Amino acid sequence: MARVAVVGIGNVLNGDDGLGPYAVRVLEATWELPPEVEVVDAGTPGADLAALLEGVWAAVIVDAVSAKGPPGELRRYERTEILHAAPRLAMSPHEPGVREALLTMEFQGGGPREIVLLGAIPGDLELGTSLSPAVKAALPALLDGVVAELRRLGIEPCRRSEPLRPDIWWERPV
Amino acid sequence: MSRITIDPISRIEGHLRIDVDVEGGKVSKAWSSGTMWRGIENILQGRDPREAWIFAQRICGVCTTVHAIASVRSVENALGLEIPLNAQLIRNLIVIAHALHDHIVHFYQLSALDWVDVVSALKADPAKAASIAQSLSAWPGNSVQEMKAVQDKLKDFVGKGQLGIFTNGYWGHPAMKLPPEVNLIAVAHYLQALDYQRLALKAVAVLGSKTPNIQNLAVGGVANAINMDAAAPINMNKLFAVRSQLEKVVEFVQQVYFPDVCAVGGMYPEWLKYGAGVTNYMAMPELPTDAKATKFDRPGGIIWGGDLTKVRPITSWKDEYWEKNVTESIARSFYDGDWQKSPYDGTTDPKVTNWDADKRYSWVKAPRLEGKPVQVGPLADVLVSYVSGDPLTRKWADRCLEGAGKVAGAKLNPGMLQSTLGRIAARAIRAAVLSELAIKHWTLLAENIGKGDYAIYNEPKFPSGTIRGFGVHEAPRGTLSHWVVIENGKIKNYQAVVPSTWNAGPRDGKDQPGPYEASLVGNPIANPEKPLEALRTVHSFDPCLACAIHTHDGDGAEIAKVKVL
Repeated sequence: MARVAVVGIGNVLNGDDGLGPYAVRVLEATWELPPEVEVVDAGTPGADLAALLEGVWAAVIVDAVSAKGPPGELRRYERTEILHAAPRLAMSPHEPGVREALLTMEFQGGGPREIVLLGAIPGDLELGTSLSPAVKAALPALLDGVVAELRRLGIEPCRRSEPLRPDIWWERPV
Repeated sequence: MSRITIDPISRIEGHLRIDVDVEGGKVSKAWSSGTMWRGIENILQGRDPREAWIFAQRICGVCTTVHAIASVRSVENALGLEIPLNAQLIRNLIVIAHALHDHIVHFYQLSALDWVDVVSALKADPAKAASIAQSLSAWPGNSVQEMKAVQDKLKDFVGKGQLGIFTNGYWGHPAMKLPPEVNLIAVAHYLQALDYQRLALKAVAVLGSKTPNIQNLAVGGVANAINMDAAAPINMNKLFAVRSQLEKVVEFVQQVYFPDVCAVGGMYPEWLKYGAGVTNYMAMPELPTDAKATKFDRPGGIIWGGDLTKVRPITSWKDEYWEKNVTESIARSFYDGDWQKSPYDGTTDPKVTNWDADKRYSWVKAPRLEGKPVQVGPLADVLVSYVSGDPLTRKWADRCLEGAGKVAGAKLNPGMLQSTLGRIAARAIRAAVLSELAIKHWTLLAENIGKGDYAIYNEPKFPSGTIRGFGVHEAPRGTLSHWVVIENGKIKNYQAVVPSTWNAGPRDGKDQPGPYEASLVGNPIANPEKPLEALRTVHSFDPCLACAIHTHDGDGAEIAKVKVL
């Protein structure tokens, strides 16, 4: 079982909401990660996020973040900050988010002991398959942040001498 | 009269909003509005039809597999392309495993807590709870120790002054009627359900090469190479792993989920009177058992006006009557124009105006069959197959009505399923039926491979000129259809008419309300500040509208805005 999960969350068909999946694919293409690290493009898993986090002791979540600030500004949240607000009243299976997944796992008596959420404030969430310039510009710093988190967790990512081409299939032109 | 707005401030956008007028403690009028994910054709136009499904499954993170399946079927339909039997059966197993997962999640995580008072479980006698649970089934997780452990866990949470995931329920609401012991059983099974939904996902992951987004589909079949000896995508080891995962999920459905729904339902018999709404029902044939898709294990059909004496059968995925009679109206939606068109010709040109109950108020289009609103989902599916005489459906539906009737002290009949509670019961009935079919379809696949048939794929060839087709899938929330127009091998138009559009759609040009809107009328509302009863009816449909944005809410927000005017 993988010890550490890097999970990109977001809808790749909605502009900057696709940041999470985009970032984790670039991460894998740029950095060689030891086998105990599992990188997941989770799309928009809703209530299934808890299932994806089963059995990992640490998770780095990458997501677009709704917060006050200019597009592209980075944010970092630790467990207590993710949990500080009450869970939402869910109308649909989409609505359980990271907070709800953690609370569900907590009640079950499990869940990752270490969790951190890194993200950037989106500029454009309209229909579309590319990131806005401000968010794209923030990508290198965001990835540095993910690598720093992994190092903090005792993982040593190794920069690939020849980066692979990330599979950002949704960005391919028609 | 007061107007209540229930508006979960979920993501930046992408949610369901319900407005109800309450008169004399009852809903007199309702509006359903939502930000349905829209505009897939704007992304797919000009692309290769063979990769449409990869994009389509990203429409919705909860319904990934179902959009993928409807998409490949639409292109195959346009081409008149058959797929090999192995491919049908592998797809069927994905469909079943996904549906079982989805139905379990719906009951325990999304709707049970409208009926189960978690806080009341603290007062339960664990021994008595265990004895009630053991009278319902032989499930090993019904022991006194299990009930006691769950109650201790709950006490520990409350002792720390927090309820964690259960913080925002309507605990102590006058509409909550279960005894503490039944509440405790439900909380115990809520926790156990999490393990079984994971197991169902694992089965999807093995068959689909990955979850949450599967990777094994192809227009023309599947991409799971079958080889019994090697480390192939499908080999004996993997088939048996899937069998063992499915067996465990089947056991949970039959011994826990189904009996729970019968017992809890039997304690709320008054909810068989509310929430019928639109009583036109539609379901598509599903789970083909031959390569040509001429025989199905789930019948399709249409029932008009709640008349359970007859059904208009739909026996093929090429049904011309259906293809010709589906339209979408935008009269009350935020789009440019005022038309009612076939999805082949539909467009998505937003025109934003203010929310106005008398004019336009939703991003959702209003699909119609023969110009009439139609309810889809497990209730429609169960009623269509019950009236068609499907033996498996009759067996589980009759068992459910008998079990719940015993608890309620009343004789229940299938007509009573046309209600809020009936929609929840129908989902459990459907899950039980699918649980039996899971093992059947696994066996069909294993036997076919055993005969030496390893075929998985027929190559699609695209003609020059224009072709079009529709792909249907009877998904967990009901009939899903993808409509594609292909010109010289490239996508010209593409529309997805999703189940929640049929159910959550707004009024149309003739002012006919959609199923959510119609079903809310007549619902009691004891306390307008806590409209639990309205949530019961809305949740009974298993809404899936927030398909769009999943941005983490960094600044924190209210759970839902309930505004009483």
